[in-house]
Amino acid sequence: MELQAVLMAAGGGSRMMDLTYNTPKPLLPVGNRPLIWYPLNLLERVGFEEVIVITTKEVQKALSTDQRLKTDVKMRLDVVCIQEETDMGTADALRHIQQKIKTDILVVSCDLITDVALHEVVDLFRAHNATLSMLMSKVHEFTDTVPGQKGKKKAGEQRDFVGVDVTGKRLLFMANEADLEEGLVFRKSIMRKHPRMLIKTGLLDAHLYCLKRSVVDFLVHNKSVTSIRGELVPYLVRKQFSKMFGVHNKCTSKEEALLQLARERSCWNDHRGDMSEAYHGGKLRCYVHIMEEGMCYRVNTLAAYIEANRVVPKLFEDPPIHPTAVVTERSLVGSDSIIGPYCQISDKTSIKRSNVGTSSTIKEKVKITNSIIMNGVTIEEGCNIQGSVICNNAVIGRGADMKYCLVGSGQCIEPEGENAVVQCSSGYTTHTKTHTLHFCSSVVFVLNPAFCVCVCVHSLAHVCLFFV
Amino acid sequence: MYVSIFFCSRPLIFCPTLHRSRWRKCAARVFGSREKTRRRPNAAEERNVCHVAAPLTPLSNMAGKAGKPSRPRKADKDEEEQPLQAVLVADSFNRRFFPITKDQPRALLPLANVSMIDYTLEFLTSTGVQETFVFCCWMASKIKEHLQKSKWCRPTSPNVVHVITSDLYRSLGDVLRDVDAKTLVRSDFLLVYGDVVSNIDISQALQEHKQRRSMDKNVSVMTMIFKESPPGHKTRCEDDDIIIAMDGKSKRILHYQRAQALKRLHFPMNIFHSGSDEFEIRFDLLDCHISICSPQVAELFTDNFDYQTKNDFVRGLLVNEEILGNQIHMHVTKDGYGARVSNLLMYDTVSSDTIRRWVYPITPEANFADLEGQSCTHSRHNVYRETGVSLGHGSQMEENVLIGRNTMIGANCTISNTVIGANCVIGDNVTLDRAYIWNRVHIADDVKVKQSVICDNVEVKHGVVLNEQCVLAYNVVVGPDITLPEGTVLSMHHPDEEDDEDDDEFLSDDNDVGYRKDKTKLKVFNPAEVGSEGKGYRWKTSSLEDTEEDELAECIWGEIDFRFSQFLTQSYKISFRNLGKQLTSLLNQFLYHGGKFYKSLLKKWAPVFKNYVKRPQDQLDCLASMEEVFLERETHWAALVKVLMSMYQLEILEEEGIMHWFNQGSTTDKSQQLRRNQGLLKFIQWLQEAEESSEEDE
Repeated sequence: MELQAVLMAAGGGSRMMDLTYNTPKPLLPVGNRPLIWYPLNLLERVGFEEVIVITTKEVQKALSTDQRLKTDVKMRLDVVCIQEETDMGTADALRHIQQKIKTDILVVSCDLITDVALHEVVDLFRAHNATLSMLMSKVHEFTDTVPGQKGKKKAGEQRDFVGVDVTGKRLLFMANEADLEEGLVFRKSIMRKHPRMLIKTGLLDAHLYCLKRSVVDFLVHNKSVTSIRGELVPYLVRKQFSKMFGVHNKCTSKEEALLQLARERSCWNDHRGDMSEAYHGGKLRCYVHIMEEGMCYRVNTLAAYIEANRVVPKLFEDPPIHPTAVVTERSLVGSDSIIGPYCQISDKTSIKRSNVGTSSTIKEKVKITNSIIMNGVTIEEGCNIQGSVICNNAVIGRGADMKYCLVGSGQCIEPEGENAVVQCSSGYTTHTKTHTLHFCSSVVFVLNPAFCVCVCVHSLAHVCLFFV
Repeated sequence: MYVSIFFCSRPLIFCPTLHRSRWRKCAARVFGSREKTRRRPNAAEERNVCHVAAPLTPLSNMAGKAGKPSRPRKADKDEEEQPLQAVLVADSFNRRFFPITKDQPRALLPLANVSMIDYTLEFLTSTGVQETFVFCCWMASKIKEHLQKSKWCRPTSPNVVHVITSDLYRSLGDVLRDVDAKTLVRSDFLLVYGDVVSNIDISQALQEHKQRRSMDKNVSVMTMIFKESPPGHKTRCEDDDIIIAMDGKSKRILHYQRAQALKRLHFPMNIFHSGSDEFEIRFDLLDCHISICSPQVAELFTDNFDYQTKNDFVRGLLVNEEILGNQIHMHVTKDGYGARVSNLLMYDTVSSDTIRRWVYPITPEANFADLEGQSCTHSRHNVYRETGVSLGHGSQMEENVLIGRNTMIGANCTISNTVIGANCVIGDNVTLDRAYIWNRVHIADDVKVKQSVICDNVEVKHGVVLNEQCVLAYNVVVGPDITLPEGTVLSMHHPDEEDDEDDDEFLSDDNDVGYRKDKTKLKVFNPAEVGSEGKGYRWKTSSLEDTEEDELAECIWGEIDFRFSQFLTQSYKISFRNLGKQLTSLLNQFLYHGGKFYKSLLKKWAPVFKNYVKRPQDQLDCLASMEEVFLERETHWAALVKVLMSMYQLEILEEEGIMHWFNQGSTTDKSQQLRRNQGLLKFIQWLQEAEESSEEDE
């Protein structure tokens, strides 16, 4: 076994609390499959037979009960649970399972959806005997309006600066704009070794890392490192150029010595321009594969979640309408939509560019466009739903008209009373003990007037709702 | 007003209506002292008056052209048809080739037996330049004479060469200001130095430049040409290392810095806010010192009279990019050859590159300069021989050898990687390796030369050994039987001579104290240095330390300048008091970083200080802020006296001010302690005595 796969699936999804309020991130449905299926499938496709899954109790339970997942994933899952409350970082988690790690590892995050040829990353790792190789991709611009987000993303967002050498493979520098107030500083010795450095911004870290076994040993010795992305990777990248490096103490194994000899005797070199030995004698090397094309999403924000839902169905040749779903002939389901198992779709309903999850019921004369309907949702007659996300087990009352809304799980939109139309052009979220309701840009909403206590107008474009 | 005067480098922003000539006046006020030191005492003439060479060819009439009223520039339609023009600066404005350049300007020094300026002109002509303005200052008459005799001034020359001379050029900036004043250029022009050797085809770069300019009018003002050469490349010289940050797509230069004295390379964050997501940081470039400029470059030099060098210009433009909106782009060539012979090390490498045919088609046997009797044959291992060469029995020319006409070489010599000029006589058993021997040199038997330059008419007597990097300037005699250590420089000029002469050619203000130490002028040749029959004086080797110091000061200067401009753009209505404080504290910071630089730095900034520190209150402010800085760092208290002393000597601070400050009641214990500092007390005492004595005089 060359590589052991480790899947990190214990993250809480803190950047999309609206969705993960009731459903843990790994189980969020994307294209009617739980999110965790995608990295598992990625690993299975390239031939992994076993994977260590680090996750929470809740997810473990779901994994063991989900029949569909069981039939889809043939790999042996070695599930390791960690306590949710302990707030473990990814590096902590690696430390936690160090007993199980025998070889170099491939760490994948559970929110990665990509069609990358994984061997590209692993080949870099093999070819250069690298300490770290990772995957990055061009950042996707999410053009669609996202429920619950005010306007566009702020321009002043902190960018990641990634420095690679002229081949675009060797990772030389990595920092976030936030840490660079003083400007970029490079030692001249680095520039001498890599005289042409490409600095790229606008890259997305896919959180997929090949790591040497020795790095795990390093983690065991250095307990202060808690996160792979936040601390370990920047540390390794920096350490490439420092003279002393404790982790990579002279590996005097026979294999290593032979490799060393082979390199000395070979006329191969990783660089041009000067006469020094390959890698300038450095023992520690970090590489990155940057995807120029193809798909790569990290489903860690609402925008990415919606985008992924839109794109993913095209990738897998599942039938758009699950055989067990009941769809009447007089309804209209676009070919760009998918309908999950055990759904019921009634007459005169039209569904376009939308995903409908398992066991959802959609009544007559409903129009759904550009929306994501999760599992067990009931939508009553005459609703018009556009660009919205409706979470598990929500009930949408009769005649609701919603645009760019996010309805929390278990939420019930009451049908009674007159159609009260509330418009709201900026995102707003309310939390009460039992309700999670989200009103988003351009909400046209039907409400039970009794529910609505007051409407607070802050400005012309800003309306807040308060609930008792 | 003070503020705007100081920031004359950015005049258009602060006071757009102010007329240029007024700016000049302001400049004269601010930099008055500097100006004085640079001018000859008798140089009363107007700066803009200069000698225009007589028309050299029937094709053009220079005098007439200079007198014409300025044509409307940037006439789009014309631009296409305009013949390509070039400005060739046949002066280096530095003294890196001293003492050789005491007798011959650098542009005329032979490189592979052809004057350097001929290489430059050949490059310009082959790249399609049809009109070249050669600007000379140092030994202008010699250059003019040379050009008049050369093929460039024949009626058939496709490139019309005008020579423009003036004693008043002190820097590249002066030359370009003169270009602007005379409105010589009509459209984009090439800017090169007279010591550039190149075969780069710039047509592509030119096209890119034109395209950029037509797309965005007047935004891109300059395209610099670089050659790709990774660190450690033979043609690279560490002195000229540069680091560049560029936009990956548009090839725009975002940051340009000389990296020679820096350990860490620093890139300010604002350069990454240009909206691009791909940047390149390049340390693998060699500045060919060839740039394609638009006419605005000359105008910008006029507007910013404090720009002296290209470095000033580039950095100034980049720092003020947001305000002025001018951009600089770059073009990188992979195949071409381009290098500037900026020092002796580069002379060595460029010579050997030429012999090894890297500058093809400019090769020794091509005789491109079309000099009579210079034709030579090229045989295996890059051995070139001109006519009339005689080689003694058993002598070997191993490889990369060029031997000038009528040179006689004795028996059993070993010659490799060497250039020998015309009419030389070389004895028996001589070993030459990487030797550059110019014309009419006599070398006796049993001489060994390694990587050295031997100028015209030198006589090397029997048994002399020259180690690496020796220079024998014109007419020197060495020997017999002496070994010159590494880096020996011998010249017929006495090193102290230059103190008597007014070395007005050189801008680099060598305020070297060391020179004056031995005032006793030994006008006698020292046999220990040149041998018993030798003639010549030993020069102190151009130690690297000096240049380093210069460069570092430059960097620091740049840094301060940069911070200042930032500071200013934030609020230019700044009170004078704050500015003074800022200046002082900045300077003091640098003082700690490198204690030894403060003097030259202070000197550089003295005019600025003077401008700020005028009223007695300002002096107190200045002193107070200095005190503040020093109070924070007890360990540096000793340095306070030094700073005070130099500021006093530079007439920035006056006695009254210092005394007032000293006697002023100090509020805290610490500042009282500071005042009790031994050195300071002595200084104050000295001041008091000086005051008293001056009073007595009255």
